[in-house]
Amino acid sequence: MIEFRGVSKTYPGSSRPVVNDLSFEVLDGEICVLVGPSGCGKTTSMRMVNRLIEPSEGEILIDGEPNTAMSGTKLRRHIGYAIQQIGLFPHRTIADNIATVPQLLEWRKDRITARVDELLELVGLDPGQYRDRYPAELSGGQQQRVGVARAMAADPPIMLMDEPFGAVDPITRNRLQDEFLRIQGEIKKTIVFVTHDIDEAIKMGDKIAILKEGGILAQYDTPENILAAPNSEFVSSFVGADRVLKRLSLLHVSDIELEPPNGAGDRLPRLSERMNLKDALSELIGADAERAVVVSDAEDRVRGTLSIETIRRLSHQAETKQRDE
Amino acid sequence: MSSFMGCLIALQNLGPKTFDWNWISSNLTDEIIPAVIGHIYLSFVSVAIALLISLPTGILVSRYRKAYPPVTFITGVLYSIPSLALFALLVTVPGIGLGPRAVIIALVAYSLLVLIRNVVAGMDSVPEETKDAARGMGLTSRQILFRVELPLALPVIVAGARIATVTVIGIATIGAYISGGGLGELIFTGISRNFPTRVIVGAVLATLLAILADLSLLALERYLRPWARARRA
Repeated sequence: MIEFRGVSKTYPGSSRPVVNDLSFEVLDGEICVLVGPSGCGKTTSMRMVNRLIEPSEGEILIDGEPNTAMSGTKLRRHIGYAIQQIGLFPHRTIADNIATVPQLLEWRKDRITARVDELLELVGLDPGQYRDRYPAELSGGQQQRVGVARAMAADPPIMLMDEPFGAVDPITRNRLQDEFLRIQGEIKKTIVFVTHDIDEAIKMGDKIAILKEGGILAQYDTPENILAAPNSEFVSSFVGADRVLKRLSLLHVSDIELEPPNGAGDRLPRLSERMNLKDALSELIGADAERAVVVSDAEDRVRGTLSIETIRRLSHQAETKQRDE
Repeated sequence: MSSFMGCLIALQNLGPKTFDWNWISSNLTDEIIPAVIGHIYLSFVSVAIALLISLPTGILVSRYRKAYPPVTFITGVLYSIPSLALFALLVTVPGIGLGPRAVIIALVAYSLLVLIRNVVAGMDSVPEETKDAARGMGLTSRQILFRVELPLALPVIVAGARIATVTVIGIATIGAYISGGGLGELIFTGISRNFPTRVIVGAVLATLLAILADLSLLALERYLRPWARARRA
C-alpha cells in the first residue's frame, strides 16, 4: 500500500506549491491514476513516491514504512519505473535494457536470461527475434512494450508509470492499454499511473485522483463514482459533458441481466456480449432499433436481448444510487 | 601547414635527379624510421595527456555550466597562439627549454579546445529521458556516468580526438624547430641543406601518418556505435 500523508512540494524560489497537501491511499493490487490538466502536479506527485523528487512537507509511506527508510537508489530498484519518452538505452540491446534492474540487483545470469525472455513473451515480442536488437530498430509501440517490460523486470510490487502509452498512435495505445490490463489481471501490481487523458484514466484506473492546478486533490474515487457524482464544477467539466456515456463504457453487456430472447426475430441487430454499453447504445441508435439480440462470442449462441430502455434504466439507477450514498 | 611549405620549397628546387631514392634505402633504419616513431610518440603522448585533462574537465563543465564560458575562453586563447610563437615562448620557460617536452606541452595546449568542446557536446547529446529512466531504475550517479552517459558520449568524444590528432600530427612537424624530433627534423634539415629528398620524405610521411590516424579513429568511432550501425542495416 502507498500512502500519501499531507504531501506538499514547493520549489525553492517559488511561493506557490506544485503539490498541495496531498493525502490518499493506493491499495495493494490497484491501479491509481493521477489525472489532471498540465501544471496540476501529477508527475511531481508520482516522482515523490520513488524520491526522484523529495517532498517539502508530509511523507509517503510504503507498506507502513516511510519511503525515506532506505536510500533513494535502493528504493528505486524495488519500484518499477516507466515513462512516456520511454528512455531506453540506445547503446544497449533490448535484452540488456530489460535486464537493467536485475543486473543492478546482481541476479544470476541464467535467471536474468530466463526473465528477459519471459517478459518479452508477456508483452508480445518474440524473444528470438527481438532479444539482440537495438531500440532504434523497433517501432514506437514496440519500444513502449520494452519500456513496460523493463519496469516489470525485477518483479517489483509497486510500479510508477508516467503516460507509459503516450508516445504512440491511438490505435496502438488502445491495444497496449488492453494488453496491460490483461497483464495486470495476472500480476496484480500496485500502480501509480499518470495521464492527462481522462478516457485513459477511466479505462485504466481502479481509483482516479483528479488533481487541479496548484496540485490540489479535487476528487479521489472509483471511475464509476466520479462519473456518477462529480463533486465539483471543476471535476464535472474535466470529465466532460459525456460522462453518462463514459460511465456506460465501463459496463459490459455480459455484466448485465438480459431479457429473454422470446423468439425475437432475425430482423433485430446483433450485439456481441463483450461490447460495452456505450458501444451497444451506439449500435442500437445507429440501427434505428429499440432492441437487439445479444450473442456470445464463442459459439454465436443467443444470450438474450437488450433494449435501449434497459440501458436508460441502468444508467439512471446508478446515478440515483450514487447521489443517495 | 609546415609539411605543405616544405613541399613548396622542395618543388621549387625540383630538377632532374632531385629525388634520391638511394638516400631512402641507406637512411631508412637510422633516420627515417626513428623520425616516424618520434613523430608518433610526440602526437600520441600529446593527445593522450590532452584527453586525460579534457575528459574530467569536460564532464565537470557539462555539469556546472557556468564554468563553460571561462574554460572555452582560456582554451580558445591557447588555440589562437601561432604555433611557432608558442614553441618559442615555451623554450624560454625555465625547466622546459629545448626538446620534446616543450613540443608536447604546446600540442596539449592546442588539443584542449577541440577535445573539451567535444566532451561537452557528447555529454549534452545524451537524451534527458535516458538519464531520467536510469535514475528512476535506481542507478547511482556514478553508474549513470559510466554505464549510460560516457558510452553514449564516446563516439562524439572520439570524433573530437580525430580532429585533435590530425591537427597535432601536422603541428608536431614544427616541433623539430626546437629540437622536438619527429618528421619535422627531416624537413628542416632538408631545407637547410638544400636536399629536397629529405623534405619530400618527411612531408609525405607526415601526411600519410595523419591520414592513417584519421582513418583508424574513424573506424573506432564506428565500432563504438554498434546501435547506429544496426539502425542503418
